[in-house]
Amino acid sequence: MAVPVSQAWTVATYVLKQKLAGRKRYPLVLMLEPLFRCNLACAGCGKIQYPAHILKTDLSPEECFKAAEECGTPMVSIPGGEPLLHPQMPEIVAGLVARKKYVYMCTNALLLKEKLHLFKPSKYLSFSVHLDGEKEHHDFSVCREGGHDIAMEGIRTAVAAGFRVTTNTTLFDGADPNSVRRHFDQLMAAGVESMMVSPGYTYDKAPDQNHFLGKAKSRRLFRAILSNRKKSWEFNTHPLFAEFLMGKRNFECTPWGMPTFSIFGWQKPCYLLQDGYADSFKELMETTEWSNYGAKSGNPQCANCMVHSGHEASAVDYNFGTLKGFIETAKAYMFPSTYPDQEAEKLLNEWKPAHAMPLVQIQGATKDQLQPVSGD
Amino acid sequence: MATEQQEHLKIEQLRQQSADEIETIAGREKENLEGWIPTLASDAEIREALEKAFDYRGDVTITRKDGSKIEGYLFDRRSGTSLSDSFVRVIPSNERTKVNVSYSDIAALAFTGRDNAAGKTFEAWVKKYWEKKAAGEKNIQIEPEKLD
Ligand code: SF4
Repeated sequence: MAVPVSQAWTVATYVLKQKLAGRKRYPLVLMLEPLFRCNLACAGCGKIQYPAHILKTDLSPEECFKAAEECGTPMVSIPGGEPLLHPQMPEIVAGLVARKKYVYMCTNALLLKEKLHLFKPSKYLSFSVHLDGEKEHHDFSVCREGGHDIAMEGIRTAVAAGFRVTTNTTLFDGADPNSVRRHFDQLMAAGVESMMVSPGYTYDKAPDQNHFLGKAKSRRLFRAILSNRKKSWEFNTHPLFAEFLMGKRNFECTPWGMPTFSIFGWQKPCYLLQDGYADSFKELMETTEWSNYGAKSGNPQCANCMVHSGHEASAVDYNFGTLKGFIETAKAYMFPSTYPDQEAEKLLNEWKPAHAMPLVQIQGATKDQLQPVSGD
Repeated sequence: MATEQQEHLKIEQLRQQSADEIETIAGREKENLEGWIPTLASDAEIREALEKAFDYRGDVTITRKDGSKIEGYLFDRRSGTSLSDSFVRVIPSNERTKVNVSYSDIAALAFTGRDNAAGKTFEAWVKKYWEKKAAGEKNIQIEPEKLD
């Protein structure tokens, strides 16, 4: 099981309650962005490009707790920025755990080993480590030599200390599915509980604008990666969302499924697009013109989006919204398929690493070359 | 939110091909707005300039009609039917608060802060990586900028 039974049960009862209450739009995961500063400067990231006074501003623990209570989701994901740079992050996490929220603290893990002692293992807390692939791919993706080795060391240390550790991998144009599959093997061998993989969103503010996967290539890539999967791989995404990535089914986006709160307020309409801010969750839900978003809306900024924050909630809603969805999901969990697919096998065998530059190899950065980055 | 003009490469691509067939999606065209002082002669010009200011990832300076100035990050705009019921929201660069300014109160706007989204491409990073590697450097990276 990719998540503890207690978590699956909490989420299932929460969604059923929303359904029984007749709520057409309900949030599933709060995306809490307590800060925007980061200790990496990835070319594909559009989240951290702000003036210094904005980057220096943090949400207080009280603001974080208020946001969690306002929207009432059973799960809270803490992206950023790099949450471990927030001086009160241990207090924020502890407060959310005390409120029985299942917390995914997203981190690039550069500071994980150094700050691990500030956190307590709990079934409610998982470190979600950002790793974009094998050493060479990750280091190039995050524009930092040695980043992969530090993150893997952070993962091993956290696993050894009894923490739940998951990973999230974002893929850009040039990703090599064979390498991604090896990356999954390495992660499972390091003891992670489960993994998530998603295509990169076409952030307007990303310094690099040339490597965003189109839908056709995304589907081919995910079909190659996720078909013929190994039994040892565990994913913490909804199985039907994975089928969506592989091009086996379609979901319209559910922008309110993972509402985002930051120092600016509640972001309209979703985690990725910034079309204004509401001062309360209620205002967000009531004043956002939801019909302006999602692939069906014709909004060019949504046309290419397949990301988890917009579409996984759609899979969950389908799961609980129809008998067919419920049966399909139950089957996917009870008798997990490895998705045997000869065409996908062929895709893998014939895949040419299509780098926009010669395939690069970062040569053995040894441990003593890797200096831990000091945080705040 | 990007304006249509800024998104034109993607819009053009989507006109020619359905989103489902696209292999690599066009990115956004960079517009150099740093230092720009738009003329605010008509309502349409005011709205467009403020939309761009909302999209801009640097500080701007707004001069109100009473002569007072506010410098900061324009993080939101709310567009009403007229200029007087439309307003921008700014976090001043020296204070943690949110200030509302009505469109109709704005006498001048200047993109005074550095554009923090004016960026480094992936190719530029790879090139830099190889140059540094050849020079024998270690721990090669794009460092986040210092905040002080
Ligand atoms: S399609 Fe993507 S970008 Fe558009 S609203 Fe949904 S999640 Fe946001």
